[in-house]
Amino acid sequence: MKLILSSSNIMQAGRQSVIRQPLTQKSNVELINSLRSNFLASQQIETSTNGTTKGQDVSHPPSWTLQAEDALYIPAIDFSQPGLSEERDQYDITVKLFYLPGIPVSRRRAHTREAIDLVLKELHVKSIDLLIVSFPGIRFDADDDSEEEDNEMSNGEPDDFDSLVQTWQVLESLHEQGVIAQLGVAEFGSERLARFLPHTKVKPSVDQINLKDCCVVPKHLILYAKQEQIQLLTHNDCHGILPVGTTRELLGPAEKSGAGILASSPEANDGIQGDIEPQWVVKYTAVVKDRGVVENKGYFASADVGSCLKNRS
Amino acid sequence: MGLLALGTALEWPEAKKKAGQVRQWGIEQLLANWRRARGKERDALLWGDEVEYLVVALDDAAKKSRLSLAQAEILKSLARDEALWKSGSGKDSATGDHAGEEPPHFHPEFGRFMLEATPGQPWGIGFKDLLKVESNMKWRREVAKAHMAPNEVPITLTTFPRLGTKDDYIQPYYPPSGPALRSQFVPDEIANPHIRFPTLAANIRSRRGRKVELNVPVFHDANTPRPFKDPTVNYDLHNWPEDDDVRNGAAKDDHVYMDAMAFGMGSCCLQITFQAKNMTEGRRLYDQLSPLGPILLALTAATPIYKGFLVDTDVRWNQIGNAVDDRTPEELGEAPLKNDRWRIPKSRYASNSTYISQDPRLRKEYFDPDLVVDEDIKKRLMDGGMDDLLATHFAHLFIRDPLVIFSEDLEELDLNKSDHFENLQSTNWQHMRFKPPPPDSDIGWRVEFRSMEIQITDFENAAFSIFIVLITRAILSFDLNFYIPIQRTTENMETAHARNAVLDRKFWFRKDPFPRRVPRSAQQSTNGSTFSSTTSSAVNTPPPSPPLGPVETEFDLMTIDDIVNGCADGSFPGLIPLVESYLNSVNVDVETRCFLASYLDLIRKRADGTLWTGARWIREFVAKHPDYKQDSVVSEEITYDLVKAVEEMTIKEGKKGSVGWELLRGKV
Repeated sequence: MKLILSSSNIMQAGRQSVIRQPLTQKSNVELINSLRSNFLASQQIETSTNGTTKGQDVSHPPSWTLQAEDALYIPAIDFSQPGLSEERDQYDITVKLFYLPGIPVSRRRAHTREAIDLVLKELHVKSIDLLIVSFPGIRFDADDDSEEEDNEMSNGEPDDFDSLVQTWQVLESLHEQGVIAQLGVAEFGSERLARFLPHTKVKPSVDQINLKDCCVVPKHLILYAKQEQIQLLTHNDCHGILPVGTTRELLGPAEKSGAGILASSPEANDGIQGDIEPQWVVKYTAVVKDRGVVENKGYFASADVGSCLKNRS
Repeated sequence: MGLLALGTALEWPEAKKKAGQVRQWGIEQLLANWRRARGKERDALLWGDEVEYLVVALDDAAKKSRLSLAQAEILKSLARDEALWKSGSGKDSATGDHAGEEPPHFHPEFGRFMLEATPGQPWGIGFKDLLKVESNMKWRREVAKAHMAPNEVPITLTTFPRLGTKDDYIQPYYPPSGPALRSQFVPDEIANPHIRFPTLAANIRSRRGRKVELNVPVFHDANTPRPFKDPTVNYDLHNWPEDDDVRNGAAKDDHVYMDAMAFGMGSCCLQITFQAKNMTEGRRLYDQLSPLGPILLALTAATPIYKGFLVDTDVRWNQIGNAVDDRTPEELGEAPLKNDRWRIPKSRYASNSTYISQDPRLRKEYFDPDLVVDEDIKKRLMDGGMDDLLATHFAHLFIRDPLVIFSEDLEELDLNKSDHFENLQSTNWQHMRFKPPPPDSDIGWRVEFRSMEIQITDFENAAFSIFIVLITRAILSFDLNFYIPIQRTTENMETAHARNAVLDRKFWFRKDPFPRRVPRSAQQSTNGSTFSSTTSSAVNTPPPSPPLGPVETEFDLMTIDDIVNGCADGSFPGLIPLVESYLNSVNVDVETRCFLASYLDLIRKRADGTLWTGARWIREFVAKHPDYKQDSVVSEEITYDLVKAVEEMTIKEGKKGSVGWELLRGKV
């Protein structure tokens, strides 16, 4: 079974979205906190509307979620709600898609389409201005301008070069269809860029570097980016943005401050049984261009759950 | 300082008779303009900074520094060059670093030793624009200096340490005690000679019935006499009736006494003006920035010396307030009300006293129940269609009299102008200003943030300007709520004056600035919900209103460090983390972000005490000077060396342990 988790607009969501010590905390706190608080808020509304309390809610899946076609929406999303308050051309819409470690590259075509479609539906727009993709295991290191292939965190193989190229072709086709105006990558050093560019039809126009390195970007990367007209932007996202354990905790039993979606034990019938496998995470941001106001920002994440997860091959 | 129209300025007895007419015409102009502009929409964020300079002449042989009264000559020379620039043949036209930037604008100020400079065109929110601010400020300083005599420099100290002393602190020298200011310390020639300025000073004094009175507590050092009796005060002057003031007790023990508008309006400030998207957003920013005024005043503190003495306060604010305080004894509450209409608790130059945003979060408890308003004016505005909040704001500003009236302007009311409105608006010097669009222009609704002290270097001035801009973006993006009862802001403004308030004092501040979360399902449910939401638009849905707690539980006393960097217990998130969260949500290139990091770092460290304020640095400079005798006296020699150090600091900016590292970079 497929789960679609969503945060709704976190700019209006209060303190969960503001991280006090951005450089010392893991930056997936924003994602996890905003999902959790959106779940909680939806549960509370449900409770106060139906007069039931959390403990008495025995229906599965809970009524504040929505079972539709082949996915369970956590919480339920009503896409008929208006998206942005002004005309489309007033906004810069940036989307960042995180492919997660251990998920077969063959699924990325479908995952990309799925993630982008959700954002388009949420914001009621037909296209986005910039899509940045984050590949698992690729991490830029300002000290030697080479990316570490971070095997430890990605509990799977880091992306090999061919799979980057394959994935890029998927994005290029979305660009061709006019769904995405510009493409970008994250954490690429100058060597990887130089190797990558000849294999692209649509060049990346953005390379995102972690905030902690923004004052120590190596000169040759700056020069190379300038020469290739690639903008070097900053980001504050961490690796391993949605680990399996965190996901299980987030969706687990209410007693352990989870959302009560997953069963509490393999024998219990108080939720969905089986393993959970996060598939992708997407972050979207709509900024009013000439005023610099972030009007809408949020996340979707997708996870598969069940005893017979799709074959990984 | 507004438009400098020419004409015949009325002396106070005549001006007083015309005050009602000017107010009435001003209100009609405001209404006409408000009707024209209230629907103005979707204006971009444009903003501008104003940097003010003192012009100081250095006499290296005699080790003396004096204020130069060369404003007029410098401005004339600058204007000639601006004309050349426009024709494209100027010698310092914008090339190199400033290619594509309009040449800066220079303006006269009250003091004839002052200059004001603004960027040639307003800034936008494009992050590349933010990078240009500091270099543009430096460019302004270079251009200004290029039009001065070789021994003159523009410096950005808030006040000249020896203004008003017995020595020849101005060049050319004029003796004190002229007909307009009637000061025993400064000559009339200290003020810009344009008729507006001497008239303003004279009419404030006439209306008040005596000279303005500034008593600043002296800083008691080991050898400072107790009680301290200001030794520069002359009790035997008999040139003007006002010379009696000191014989009637105007100069207080343990205080430095000053008696003229120049001691306040001769201060340099850093002011930022923003254009809002529309009137609604402008009103919201006005309210939300208001509680930040005192915080930024304490953070930018740079004024520890007056009239050659170290004082026990760190900022200029109240001195300006007292320097333009035109209230009569009746209005001040010193005499029973007979001729005047009301008691007025604050000077025309003071923290603002009311909120104006039509915001559901604005609780009635946040207002001052004793706010003085002109009820007739309020009624006229409301009859004209204006809402209660905004009408109250303007009816409060209009309790004052217009001070400078030109008889030529009283012949006919022109509703396509705003001169009478501006007459009152621009002489209400509150720490926030809400500015309607000028008639016949494309400019939108604007808000001005006015409390900050000028900083010694352009690095600091750029840092604080940009910080405020980023805070406005965070306020709008996160829908932040900084409301506290407005009397607490007034109190904070006083608190900000204390010596080292930035580290030693606590300020009232709202604990939770975040909106209450409105889940989607609550926004959409119109039936069967406990929330009776009546509007269909999610964006405009007011938050559901579970009962609010007592107002007193919403705010608390916090240190500046808590407010800027966040409370250790996680209650208040901190202005810097809010700004960083905002920056993490927008696309910023690495170079800009690195620059911004250095600005935010300065402010973070000013707040936590790692770096000093200008006030602290100046105090330490004086304390360590060989000519200082621990008697609070800041001598001519100390002042000369201070000016030289400040001049050096504007160039080296405390890099590599150079002068001023304690307030700029720290030990690297």
